[in-house]
This record gives sequence, structure tokens and C-alpha cells, in this order.
Amino acid sequence: MDAAINLKKQKRRKLLTPYLLILPGFLFVFGVLGYAVLYGTLLSLFDMDLMKAETGFVFLDNYIYLFQNAAFLNSLVRSLIFVFGSVSLGLVLSLFFALSLYRATRFGNFLKGLALVPYLVSGIATAVMFRFLFSGDVGLINQVLITLNLDAVNFLAHPNWALFVAVLTNTWFIVPFATLILLSGIQSIDPELFDSATVDGASKSKVLTKIILPLISPMMGISLVWLSFASFNMFDVILPLTGGGPNRATEVLAVYMYNVAFDELKYSLGSAVMVIILIFNVATSALYLKIFNTDD
Amino acid sequence: MLAKIKWKLSEKMYIIPLIVLVIWTVTPMIWAFSASFKTKVEVYETPPTIIPNLMNFSNYMTVFNYDHFWRYLFNSTFLAITSTIIAVVASILAGYAFARYAFKCRHLLLMLILIPRILPRASLIVPLFAGISMVGLADTYLSLVITYTATAIPMATWILAGFFKVIPKSLEEAAAIDGAKSWQIMWYVIVPMSLPAILTVSIFSLREAWNEFPFALAFTQSQEMRTLPYQLFMLRDSMGMQDWPVVLAFTIVSILPLLILYLIFEKRVVNGITSGAVK
Repeated sequence: MDAAINLKKQKRRKLLTPYLLILPGFLFVFGVLGYAVLYGTLLSLFDMDLMKAETGFVFLDNYIYLFQNAAFLNSLVRSLIFVFGSVSLGLVLSLFFALSLYRATRFGNFLKGLALVPYLVSGIATAVMFRFLFSGDVGLINQVLITLNLDAVNFLAHPNWALFVAVLTNTWFIVPFATLILLSGIQSIDPELFDSATVDGASKSKVLTKIILPLISPMMGISLVWLSFASFNMFDVILPLTGGGPNRATEVLAVYMYNVAFDELKYSLGSAVMVIILIFNVATSALYLKIFNTDD
Repeated sequence: MLAKIKWKLSEKMYIIPLIVLVIWTVTPMIWAFSASFKTKVEVYETPPTIIPNLMNFSNYMTVFNYDHFWRYLFNSTFLAITSTIIAVVASILAGYAFARYAFKCRHLLLMLILIPRILPRASLIVPLFAGISMVGLADTYLSLVITYTATAIPMATWILAGFFKVIPKSLEEAAAIDGAKSWQIMWYVIVPMSLPAILTVSIFSLREAWNEFPFALAFTQSQEMRTLPYQLFMLRDSMGMQDWPVVLAFTIVSILPLLILYLIFEKRVVNGITSGAVK
């Protein structure tokens, strides 16, 4: 009798074990991140403003306000340009780098290691270094322009140039990880495929477009998700580089949200921007994975 | 013959992107590194010097003598190490459960834990800050440790679960027959066998916490609570006339510890990513 109860107890304990094992991790993830999403969504439906006493349920008013607000619309457009620029430049560079790293025999490991270095540098440090590189008076780029007898450009004081520099800085920061993801895709291709293709007289570009690109398309999807995800939410690089300026030219959504919430203390409006950023992220990720992950 | 030369040339063409890669990667860093040894005046010289006229460490001394500099260094180190330890332990447990147990809703739960990977960190600061101030945790280490840990767990769990799956089950079964308890199996069999993966995961987590900026900016107010990236941001903000060499020396100091760690384990990290474990 006792033995039977014991056995039952043991069995129940065995059933519970996996749930107990995942409990701490889930508590952290959902206690913090899940909470933030739910509470943020809720906040966005209310009118919570530290400057005003009353708070009330306003449903979609915050969203309607945003889409009629010139500063928000400007930031949305700037974000889209910023993301589009970073993702296209980032994808081209990381594909180039990954393909050449795959071919590199001498110093191959050293170069792979070097390629990842910017991934270890913080967004703030990246921004400071690029600010120095492109600064009006002491920047290397301007020093080179002057040495070549060209006119110096005050990059960060010019709206369009500043956005361009922001894209470049962001790309430097996000390309390494995408490069290694693509490299992992190329490395997993059976080398015999290349050999037989070359024997059959396939040209370089044929090998690239007919073998490599189709086979690494899942990895392309993942690196695109990474590139656009990192760009959409970019905050660390922009704030020290340009602070959103000049004239709001680089005020991407994350920076706009920070200013609304922490400078103007409009939490509800900030939360509404959060929800919009989240929707963009989920939508673009789903789109890329649908396009590139056809066989899954 | 001509075709052969052409082929040979194109064989070597991959060198060009590699050169671009090296220039692209190192230029900002070399330029910053060299300027961190220059004097305030030398920075303005045209044409620029790559090797400073005179190696001068005074910028670094200025950085080390800043008010609270050692406190910032301590904050960054402490936060990175604590959050990494908690995150890695929680992820080993969860990863083991996903790799070895067939339990209800397993796939759903694994998907759920991955969703936060598409949650942007910066965008969460508004509701998180509201919640943190509500429970009175604003301006504390705890608020940062908890949030850093939470953001590190999803990826760590995912990588570790994938790694545990390929460890042969027979080892654990043998240990179980010898009478080892579950926690003993985990500690003496699983953990030693997955040290490479645990190391990779730890470096990712250390990197996240060491470089983190939006949470530190939003959740702390007092000066003693700042981390190195936060202070670097303030430095750039507060100096009207930029003292570039000092700012760049601070930048180098904030990058270097992680870079050294990376140099030690570089092969492991690169293989960890290129073996396809990270997705």
C-alpha cells in the first residue's frame, strides 16, 4: 500500500520536474518582458500623463493623435529610410564579406575573428568613434577631403548627411553578426556541389545565383530579421551620434519614443509608439521568414 | 590562354572584399585608438597623423582620475557578471528540460520563450520604467540585474537546449544506474560536457550587459549608478568644447575588457555562431 503511494508520488514528481526546471527562466522572461508588453499595450489605451492628475481610458486616441502628429510622422518616415538604408547596405556588405571569408584560406580564422569585433563594441562607443570620424573639424573623412583639395563637409550638421552617417554607423555595428550567420549557411553547403558545378562548366555568377543563394536562403531570412530588427530599434547609436538632430532628421522611432516618454513625460503616448514599433518588428520578421523559408 | 588568366584573376578576386572588410572594420577603431594618445592640439593637425607624435598617456590618466570612474567600472562589471550567472543557470535548467523531457506544451513553451527575441529592448523602457518605479526599484542594481537577466535568457536557453540534445543519452543512463540523482547528473555529466556552449552563451550575455545602454539610462538617476557606456554618453553630452582625446581614451577603456575576453575565447565564439547554433 505504502509502496504504491510512494510510486505514485515519484511518478508525479517526475511529471513535474520539467516544469520546475523551466520555471526560473520563464519567471524572468515573462515577469519582465511579458509584463512590459502587456502593461505597455494597456498604458497605450489610457491617458497617463505625469503632468495631469486624471487618467482615463481613451481607447485608440493616442494612436489617432500620433498619426496626425507631424513629429511622429516625420520620425516614422525617417525610421523607414534609416531601416531601408541599413538593411540594404547591411545585406550587400554581409553577403560580400561572408562569400569572401568562405574563400579565404590564409588568415581565414584571423579574418573571421576580426569581422566579428564590431559586434563586441557597444553602440555608444561605436557612435562616439563615428562622430569623431565624421566630425566637421577633426574628422578623418574631412581631413582626407581637405588633403584632396575638396571642400570639407559638416556631416552631422546637415540633415541628409547626418542620416547617411547614422545609416553607415548603424551598418558597421550590425553587419558582423549578419556576416557570420550567412557564413554559417555557406559553410553548411556540401563542397562537392561546387566542384561538380565547376566541372560542368558553370560560371562564377551561375554558382552564386543557382547554388549558393537558394541554399542559404533560410540564413538570408534570419540575417534580414536581425538587420532590420536591430535597425528598427536602434537607440544606442543614434542618441550619442546626433541626438536625433539636426532638425529631427535622425529622430527614428525609438528616439522619438524616448523623448516623448522621458522628456515630455507622456508615458501613454510613448507606450503607443512601443506598440507600433512591435507591430513593425513582427510584421517584417514574418514577411522575411515567409519569403526565405519556403521549404520549412 | 586568355580564359585561363581571366579565371586565375577571378580566383583571386575574393581578396578585394577581404581588404574592404579589414579597412571597414578597423578604420574607426584605429583612428580612435591613435587619437586617444594625442594631445588636444595634435588632433586638429592637417594632414592627420596616424602614429601620434608623442605617445602620451595623460588622457588615460585623466579618465582613471575621473570622479566615480572606478565606481562605473565596478557597476558595469558587477551587473554583467551577476546577470550572466543567473541567466546561464536558469537557461541550463530550462534548456535541459527542453532537451530531455517530453512534457505537455513543450513546443509551445519553447516558442513562447523565443518570442522575446523579437522584442526590441529600447522600446520596452517605458512600461518597464513605470513598473520599476511602482515597486520602488528605480535607481537600484536589482532593477538592472533583473532586466538584464530576462533579456539574456531566451537566446541562452535556445542555444543550450540545442546543444544538450546532441549529448548522448547513454552517459546519463549509466550515471543513473550508478545511483546518481538528477541534479548530480546535471552537474557532473551535462555541465562539464557542454562547457563550450556554456562559454559561448556566457560571452553573449556578458556582451549584452556590458554594452547595455537604454535600461541603464532610463532606470537609474544617481550618478553613482551609471555604467561605463552611460558615462561615455554623458561625457559626449556635457563637454561643450569636445576634448576628443580624453573622450576617445574613455571609449577605448570601455571597449577593451570585453575585447580581451573575446580574444581569449575568439575561436569558440566564432565557431559557436557559424556552426548554426545561433538563430
